[in-house]
Amino acid sequence: MLADTGLVVLFIAFLLSLYATLASAFGGIRNQPAWVESARNAAVLVFPLLTIPVAVVLYALYVMDFSLAYVYDVSNRAMSPFLRLTALWGGQQGSVLFWAWIMSAFVMLVLLRKWYRDRELMPYVIAISMLTTAFFIGVVVFITNPFTRLWHLPGAQELTKSIFQPEGAMAFVPQDGQGLNPLLRHFGMIGHPPTTYIGFTGFVVPYAFAMAALITGKSRQDEWIRTTRRWTLVAWVFLSIGLVLGGRWAYDVLGWGGFWGWDPVENAMFMPWLTGTAFLHSVMMTEKRGMLKKWNMILIILTYALTLFGAFITRTGVISSVHAFTKSALGPAFFAFIGLTFVGSLTLLFARWETLKSEHHLESFLSREAAFVLQNMLFLAIAFAVFWGTVFPLISELVTGTKITVGPPYFKKVTGPLFFALVLLMGVAPLFAWRKQAARKLGRAMLAPFLGSLAVTAVWGYLHRMHPLSIGGLWLVSFVVLTVLAEFWKGVQARTSSRGENPLTALGTLIRRNRRRYGGYIIHLGVVMIALGVIGDTYFKQETQTTVARGETLTIGDYSLRFEGLREYPGSDGRDVVEASTHLYKKGQHIRELKPRRDFFIVQEQPVTVPGVYSTPGVDVYTMLVGWGASGGQSATFKVYVNSLINWVWIGSLALILGTLVTAWPSKDSKRQASYVLKPRSLGLDPASGD
Amino acid sequence: MTDVAHEPITESPAVEKSGWYQAGGHVAAFALVLALLGLLAWGLVKVQRGQVKSGMAPDFTLLGFDGRKTTLSDLRGQVVVINFWASWCPPCREEAAYLEQTWRKYQDQGVVFIGVDYVDTEKEALAYIKEFDITYLNGPDIGTRISQAYNIQGVPETFYVAKNGELHGLKVGPLSPPELDEKIDALLAESYP
Repeated sequence: MLADTGLVVLFIAFLLSLYATLASAFGGIRNQPAWVESARNAAVLVFPLLTIPVAVVLYALYVMDFSLAYVYDVSNRAMSPFLRLTALWGGQQGSVLFWAWIMSAFVMLVLLRKWYRDRELMPYVIAISMLTTAFFIGVVVFITNPFTRLWHLPGAQELTKSIFQPEGAMAFVPQDGQGLNPLLRHFGMIGHPPTTYIGFTGFVVPYAFAMAALITGKSRQDEWIRTTRRWTLVAWVFLSIGLVLGGRWAYDVLGWGGFWGWDPVENAMFMPWLTGTAFLHSVMMTEKRGMLKKWNMILIILTYALTLFGAFITRTGVISSVHAFTKSALGPAFFAFIGLTFVGSLTLLFARWETLKSEHHLESFLSREAAFVLQNMLFLAIAFAVFWGTVFPLISELVTGTKITVGPPYFKKVTGPLFFALVLLMGVAPLFAWRKQAARKLGRAMLAPFLGSLAVTAVWGYLHRMHPLSIGGLWLVSFVVLTVLAEFWKGVQARTSSRGENPLTALGTLIRRNRRRYGGYIIHLGVVMIALGVIGDTYFKQETQTTVARGETLTIGDYSLRFEGLREYPGSDGRDVVEASTHLYKKGQHIRELKPRRDFFIVQEQPVTVPGVYSTPGVDVYTMLVGWGASGGQSATFKVYVNSLINWVWIGSLALILGTLVTAWPSKDSKRQASYVLKPRSLGLDPASGD
Repeated sequence: MTDVAHEPITESPAVEKSGWYQAGGHVAAFALVLALLGLLAWGLVKVQRGQVKSGMAPDFTLLGFDGRKTTLSDLRGQVVVINFWASWCPPCREEAAYLEQTWRKYQDQGVVFIGVDYVDTEKEALAYIKEFDITYLNGPDIGTRISQAYNIQGVPETFYVAKNGELHGLKVGPLSPPELDEKIDALLAESYP
């Protein structure tokens, strides 16, 4: 019985992770390395052990073992084998198991790679990370177990779900399953959960190190920051990819022509991203100047707590969302764990508050340090605005008795100016020197990009006279792009003139020698591209909904769409497809055929709209088949969006991933190399001094 | 020497003061975290309770956008479909045409449709009603009283009220043919004195 094996091994993994937590804490407190060694061995073993139940669930999905309630709920015979395997994270039980599995992988990797480096921290790193892992495995074992079976009780109308055989019940194996929610059958939704989970769980590494540093009093040295920098970057980039894939999924599947709706579920993911990004920047201040130590702690606690909070609100429905998530018994368990994390982390932080003193003071408001502080405040302000908007329905209902939800207009109005300031800062901050920046020199560095951006803006402003509000946004984008490119240009020029390298070689060497710096610039360029996409979405979106007869044409902006006819045919994965044939013209010129569809999933009785999209770097024409006349497809209703610049969101995301790869890719010489380090005094301290 | 003598006097109040500030800050941070946890706990309790699923349907009076007033308890003997929706809700758009079409089919057979517009603005709501040419009674849920009475968890949600005023079913998420027809047929078939 494979499922039984999975269940037993799952339980052993749970016990082992509990053991690792207790043994490492005990070994740490009593200073008994043997216990810590043992805990480490147990912790490393959890991942391979958890791989067994994961493999069993995958196998059950593959062979369609419908005796398992989970397999019955999320798969059916009409789904392709690949789709069935991805159903591992298509439902509650599987996805929590998957979450625990990834988390255990992170913990194992850390313990294998960093074991000899931070020995004093290790007992508590194990304790904190394994406690978290144990919590998630415990949830899988006791609350949402994927090995639950279907049973038939005599006389009962509905099936019973239980792990063990209820008295008098007969095992029941349905002929076919219910199948994965059709809306989730899209590459974005197949890739979104794994990347998001890697991002969410990955933050456990810096969090565990931070807490270990607080517990041991090593927080006054900043070693934990150096150890976890790459890990944080990995978590951050996966969270970013997850956000983008989710947005892409919404754009392709949900059919409202946008990629971001400020829904609580989206916000839940965005908030840790915001604080995580702030954290990635503020650790640089600690590394180079020994400043912002308290901030770092606050930011990592906040980021980690927000990942848990995100999981909590998406899985319990405490804040109602148009996303339909199943309610579950997870709520109280998650709540208790979030409470523990929050209160425990704060207590630790305040206990060590005095040790986290800054080693330097802000010397000038025109300095890299000041820019970092401002940047941090902006990120936190945005995160707070998003948080407030997300929990506001709950607050208003509690205080006034009336539930008031705030929609996209609130988020756009409040965060818009903050994002503007943030992007501007992103452009100019890298020009600032550490400690103190001479204003005159700064002015010279910014002059060329500034004039260039004015020229671009003038041309743009003339071309788009009817959208005056977009001009500010475009000025910002062009200014930041030009300042970043100027940085590359300066670097390349210095090399070509001093060493006579050709510009391409010079660029390659430049990036290789200063990965963090230039990788960071590439990430910044990616962010600006995304900003460009957002500007297009905010100011240039056009939409129309029209019913047209066969052979008729509907017009939107420069584009027109001719409806040629409807076709109905059975599609793959158990769906009926109604497909419209339309031809897209731009200013009378034929571009191509578009085939917007409406897929009806028979078993789930659920329609899914599949848009027909014509996509270019400048503009997307997005067509949806909304409905059709009863008279054999003689007329049809289309919703058409012309989405300007939206592709830059996806292109920018790729740049962001590329930049992160450049920054984080391990290299032999990168460890000793740093462009400019003002040594924090802490490094000179006696490492043995506790608290 | 006088400097040394003076030092503790000028220094210690400042230190003490900053200590108080700090303690105050820490207490405030804890208070904030606890308040947040309290809020989440309260939300959790509400969610765990879930929608009202059985018993008599909570009574309410809805003032329609067109000025018509309807009270649920006045509708005994008729089958009532209560649909919670909002103009900002994409899944609601999916079911809007089907709802209106079904209403037109059953309107003379002792069936009442009530659209409760949840957390919305009147302009957008009226545009939505016009877009789908909705003719059954629709009105705003002022003060979210109705949605709180039914403890809805989101939109769209549809509640079925039998002829005797009892709740007989609930659908979370958009309706698609033919489930609404089937449910109404079943409710119409029930006998009522």
